[in-house]
Amino acid sequence: MIVCVAIVGHQNNPLYIQSFTDGDDALKLHHVVHCSLDVVDERVNNPKKSGPMLNETYLGLLYPTENYKVYGYLTNTKVKFISVTTDLDVKDADVRNFFRKFHAAYVDAVSNPFHVPGKKITSKTFAERISTIVKAFGLSSAG
Amino acid sequence: MIGVGKIKQYSNVLDKPLNKGKQEVSLSAFAFLFSELVQYNQTQVDNIAELERRLEDAGYAVGARVLELLCHRERGNRRETRLLGILSFVHSTVWKILFGKVADSLEKGTEHEDEYMISEKELLVNRFISIPKDMGTFNCGAFVAGIVRGVLDGSGFPAVVTAHFVPMEGQQRPRTTILIKFAEEVLRREARLGG
Repeated sequence: MIVCVAIVGHQNNPLYIQSFTDGDDALKLHHVVHCSLDVVDERVNNPKKSGPMLNETYLGLLYPTENYKVYGYLTNTKVKFISVTTDLDVKDADVRNFFRKFHAAYVDAVSNPFHVPGKKITSKTFAERISTIVKAFGLSSAG
Repeated sequence: MIGVGKIKQYSNVLDKPLNKGKQEVSLSAFAFLFSELVQYNQTQVDNIAELERRLEDAGYAVGARVLELLCHRERGNRRETRLLGILSFVHSTVWKILFGKVADSLEKGTEHEDEYMISEKELLVNRFISIPKDMGTFNCGAFVAGIVRGVLDGSGFPAVVTAHFVPMEGQQRPRTTILIKFAEEVLRREARLGG
């Protein structure tokens, strides 16, 4: 179950944060997302020699916390997508698929001529698309 | 893609494939829209430099979005970190998606280390435009220069991009050249990366 998704711009400015549970404290999730940004920067600046090839978009599991797992995805324009999930056994392919759809929705939102790059994404259509994608992810990994 | 013309003629209309539609925009629609854009900006400004700047800003917004779109569509795209990489990306991929063909040529400037030129025999946006004599060296290719600047900026290569006419012997209309001048930090980074 994905509890939170976030889009962070290339200067680490938040472009979109949305949490999908009522119970957990939204602030705590924001904090987890913020910490994961450091991990992303670390991965980008010191690529592991034996790791995936340079310039790959999907970063994989960033780091596991107490009961969350945080996944990252980096686009070519240094925009980062972060997803926080509570599942214990998510398949890699599922997460990649999720990020691919997420990226498509993001590109559509940015193509809006009224969207100012660097400001938060305020489109309602985008928010609805994201919640649909998140729900689809929850169903596919449970089934 | 704008203005890609070759449509396969079907003898029988029932033979036409049902597809999701052409991924092209008609050239006339774009020319009309672009001429309106230029005219609108012309009424708002007092001098040529301001008009060029406005066209370039409009192109910059397009360039930023085109970059996002291309990075998503090209599966397995590597993020370009080298100068030649990003230049060939602009020269082929971006040009192909915007104008349906790759740019005519990509050259390195001879006078300065940080200058590169992309030239085109006839820029698509300039096809239906003729500049009156009193506008001097104004070039509506400033829009395309803005697009290139948007793509370069989004990829982390700040640059100053301008469009110029270069007269060629033996041809009526001068060739258009997009001049790209990279910022200091790009050259330093390139040297550090082992250029």
